[in-house]
Amino acid sequence: MSHAASGVHILPYSRVVGQDELKLALELNHLVPRIGGVLMAGSRGTAKSTLVRAFALMAQSELPVTLPINATDDRVLGGWEIDALIRGEARPQQGLLEDAAISGMLYIDEVNLLEDHLINVILDVVSTGVLSVQREGLATAKHIAFGLVGTMNPEEGGLRPQLLDRFGLMVTAERLDVDARHRLIRTVLDFEEELGKTGSDWLAAAARDDAAIRERLAQARLRVRHIPVPDTVVRLCAQAAERLESVGQRGEIVATLAARALAAREGADVVEPRHLQRVLPMALRHRRPESTFEWGVEDEDRVKDLFEEV
Amino acid sequence: MAIPPPPDAPPAAGFGAQEPDDPVLRLTRLLACAAADPALAGVLLFDLDPQLTDSVALLFAAALGGAGPLLMLGAQTRDEDLWTRARLRQAGGRVSVSTHPGPLIETDGREGPPQLVVVPDLTRLSVAGMRAAVQLLGAEVAVVEHTGLRHIARPRARWLAVCRSADAGRLSPHLLDRFALRVSMAELRGSRPQRLLTLLPSVSGAGAGHIAQASVTDGALTRVRALLGPDTGVRRELALARLARTLASLDGDGAAEERHADAAARLIGLPVAGTPDGTDPEREPPDSPGPSGADDRSEAPHDGSRVDRGATERPAGQGRPLRGPEPEEEVGSGPAAVHGTPFPEDEVSVPRDFAPLRNLWQRTMGPAATRGAVVGSRRAKDLRDLAYVATVREAAVHQRVRRTDRFTIAPVDLRSHLRAGASERLLVLLLDHTCRDDAWDWAEALTPFLQWAYTGRAAVQVIEVGGADATHELKADSFAARNVLDPRVLAALYRPAGRATPLAHGIQEAARILRAAFQQHGSALAEAWLVVVTDGRGNVPLTAGRGGRPAGHVGAAGVEDALKAAARIGAMDRTRVRAAVVDPAREPYGSLPFRLADALGATVVAGRPAPRTHESGVPDER
Repeated sequence: MSHAASGVHILPYSRVVGQDELKLALELNHLVPRIGGVLMAGSRGTAKSTLVRAFALMAQSELPVTLPINATDDRVLGGWEIDALIRGEARPQQGLLEDAAISGMLYIDEVNLLEDHLINVILDVVSTGVLSVQREGLATAKHIAFGLVGTMNPEEGGLRPQLLDRFGLMVTAERLDVDARHRLIRTVLDFEEELGKTGSDWLAAAARDDAAIRERLAQARLRVRHIPVPDTVVRLCAQAAERLESVGQRGEIVATLAARALAAREGADVVEPRHLQRVLPMALRHRRPESTFEWGVEDEDRVKDLFEEV
Repeated sequence: MAIPPPPDAPPAAGFGAQEPDDPVLRLTRLLACAAADPALAGVLLFDLDPQLTDSVALLFAAALGGAGPLLMLGAQTRDEDLWTRARLRQAGGRVSVSTHPGPLIETDGREGPPQLVVVPDLTRLSVAGMRAAVQLLGAEVAVVEHTGLRHIARPRARWLAVCRSADAGRLSPHLLDRFALRVSMAELRGSRPQRLLTLLPSVSGAGAGHIAQASVTDGALTRVRALLGPDTGVRRELALARLARTLASLDGDGAAEERHADAAARLIGLPVAGTPDGTDPEREPPDSPGPSGADDRSEAPHDGSRVDRGATERPAGQGRPLRGPEPEEEVGSGPAAVHGTPFPEDEVSVPRDFAPLRNLWQRTMGPAATRGAVVGSRRAKDLRDLAYVATVREAAVHQRVRRTDRFTIAPVDLRSHLRAGASERLLVLLLDHTCRDDAWDWAEALTPFLQWAYTGRAAVQVIEVGGADATHELKADSFAARNVLDPRVLAALYRPAGRATPLAHGIQEAARILRAAFQQHGSALAEAWLVVVTDGRGNVPLTAGRGGRPAGHVGAAGVEDALKAAARIGAMDRTRVRAAVVDPAREPYGSLPFRLADALGATVVAGRPAPRTHESGVPDER
């Protein structure tokens, strides 16, 4: 039984103020889904959730497939439609993981508050690429793939390293300056006011801007496969990962994919070291031995000379 | 739509033109605003007299246009009570089960008054209730995927929660931040519930129906920022701006201006100066900043909008002046009214509960708890905690075989929830490393408690004070272990001693852990032991332990603070907590462990074996 979204209004993506790093990560993940998703950390009230929903509405014209923190496993894995069962019909009900495989993205709000047993289910599926359901008379096994997008407030606790590693990129929400805060609140209030109007020019302009971004991303998505990654950039990535003590090789792979996506987004013909340098913090900050997600000047300094030499 | 004046309240003009001095009037205005704007859905009242909660809830329901039955949330609230509702229907001789949106979300996407959720004590709300608040309050969309139900809609429920301001620091800021309207109602203490109920006719439907939404001027936004101060969060700014907008809307004004921002600030108890004096609070530092760093002075309008002096004037003698006596302040301005701060968690120094929004992962050895997170279903052994959806699924499999002409659920179909185990026992071990010398192995004295924890599958919380490798030597360290077999527990028993003994901080930490355990596990936690191994010679006062900075002259403050902190544990509801102090028998001050045990209400366990004596009666020298 499904209840459609009613009265849900999300601020248009093109009108979200600031948070350029978060936007960039979402767009790169959209251009190259193999990046594997985005984790957004930030203190409360930094528009993380709004941004994810606005992006999904802009890019796919629908809300993201969302896994709430208190979801039950029948809704995550799939089961039977109860009303149909009582009528004597065996009608399977698709779970969220299959929904996510169709849309390519599973959004988990407050991902650090997710129940442990659900984390285990997701880790199983994401790491094997197989959704196997053997319960309640269901016996299915399907190959599925989707990117994880999560938002979290680190004040409320951390994430298990295994789950952390499954997010391709990690970004932290920035603290807005006074002007940006003013613009943000102005925009939110204007949006709420415009919702009450019929034929709002404000909303129409925002929709046009969203469409322009969607078109720009679609063009970049077509281009990205044809953009070569020079061997020098790949080697540079390996050296940078070593210096930054990145754990495992997933970070380097993701960094290369993200650099390629960035090149496509900028309309470049080839991936350049500066593209890699730009995405390095997103790809490696959550894959280092110390569990803090900080990325500061010292980290930049550790790899600065590598990029100057090129 | 302005609220007509209540029968026994001073006559009220528009929202922008009347200062809400009367707490009852402030409360009714706030409730009307929360009813009118879904973005202001969360109302948190600090220090409300508990006997008034019901009356305030009735007022809120009336402002909403008559909400249905109130949904009361407390320590026993579970996910299953909130998100779904199983309904049995009988039609045509058949009984069927169907799953519907639960009480928290059943009014979403519907016409009519929204659900009103009442939390009489936010600090005692269960983890499921707190997580629900975080998911729904102020959210653009609520997504529920629970036992066969998918529900995606804008949340409409309004929340009324009550909390002691002294306890606010214990709660998650993430949770507190979700309540858009927060106000102290300490002034209402002593009021009779009947007085509030006389206002019912006047607030009825005050926030229901369509209200033309006012726009918000840039000046009002600047004023909001000045009122809240530069370090405030975006959500607080947005909430105050929305409140100002709603006040203007209810008052029939087309635009919310600075005066509406001032009125909104007064409504929630933020300090506001009496009149605009033309100064810019952001450029000139205040002499006496408000509780949240807010500047107390008004400023000239930023966009040339008018300023209604009548809206900001107030009778003298109410509240405390927020600024030093300067001549220009005296012209036309009385001291501002100051009610309790709406953000008490910014000021209190009570340590925050650990991960209050997370369910714990501990396990049970006894009968299955009915409060852990649902992780599956199994064949029911009794009729408690039935899993309806799983039961129907099970029954469906056998319908053809049974060859009945209607859907039949047999006893063998019944399934109950399988829940993540919640610990039924807890051992809190407070180890003072500075009381152990080379000649004493305290493990012997602790063995009975560790054995109890092992056989009882107890979760273990270890608090260490005075360790040489402490993270901060003036603070206690603590960690949670799944059970006593965790290697960290053994390592903690043999840590070298340091110099400082922040015993008071350690005992306070123990109190916090016990409180959190009983809140998160509720009635599932059957028994807890607090075992303190110390000679009682704390030498770090509590303030130094909390702040991590050494105090000046310490004297006996470390000991006295420890005794005070222990007395607070002693005053807890002690039906399920037992305490013991292991006495290391150190001299001088050998009586301190006994004094500590008295304060804790604990028994004293001799830590060292009785000294062996020579035949001469002289103790062995150790």
